[in-house]
Amino acid sequence: MSLKNKSMSSPRLPNYLKANRKRLALSQDEVAFLLGTQSGAKISRYERFARVPSLETALALEAIFKRSVSELFDGMYQRLERDVIKRAKILSHRKDSEKPNQQQSRRRQALDDLAAS
Amino acid sequence: MNKPIPKYPRILAIALSTRGFGFAVLEGNQILADWGVKSIEGDKNKGSLSKLKEMIVHYEPDVLVLENTSIKPMRRSARIQTLTKQVSSVAEKSNIPVRLFSREHTRRFFFGDGKETKHDIAKIIAERFSDELGFRLPPKRRP
Repeated sequence: MSLKNKSMSSPRLPNYLKANRKRLALSQDEVAFLLGTQSGAKISRYERFARVPSLETALALEAIFKRSVSELFDGMYQRLERDVIKRAKILSHRKDSEKPNQQQSRRRQALDDLAAS
Repeated sequence: MNKPIPKYPRILAIALSTRGFGFAVLEGNQILADWGVKSIEGDKNKGSLSKLKEMIVHYEPDVLVLENTSIKPMRRSARIQTLTKQVSSVAEKSNIPVRLFSREHTRRFFFGDGKETKHDIAKIIAERFSDELGFRLPPKRRP
């Protein structure tokens, strides 16, 4: 579902639940039933970006739509990813006070990879 | 002033009709983010404008696409022509550029000077977004 060049496109929508529900021709009430909740009102709130589902619900949505959570919640995922990268840059610029050992080199590599992504 | 349109814009395309309007939300040319029809009861123009304003807030489109109803001879009703102007005005107030395409322009884009039908266009779109729309393509109507 990703666009060729994200910088040339507008920010992704917080989630793509509605498109995925329509793709499978399911009603909001049917998705609610599959999630084990009572009515489609909650689904409507997720689709209107008025409410964020719990991790348990997000994983159940992945099971229903056969799309990864990061794909279903692409806009939210991209925002969180940007924040993590920003923090990784900060962390990777912090100097290690201790003598570098194998563990610290591994940590540094992980942070550098994150910051460069 | 309208904001510039990105290379892969979010497009809100509206097809005004006698019952309300049809819509599609595209991201670039690869992703169909939403689609459907909205039926309006009562004052159709007022109801359509209200729904469209909600959609503009929800989807924050980079560009709004409408049928060009100012081309002569135009077979669309006076109500639809007025609504087209009203929708354009709402979009412009929200700094969203509006792009107008005539039916002829759309047909030429798909088929050049051919005599293909609306169903043929629907078939191409259903094949392009087969996962989302493939199963919704209605059978061809008898001539």
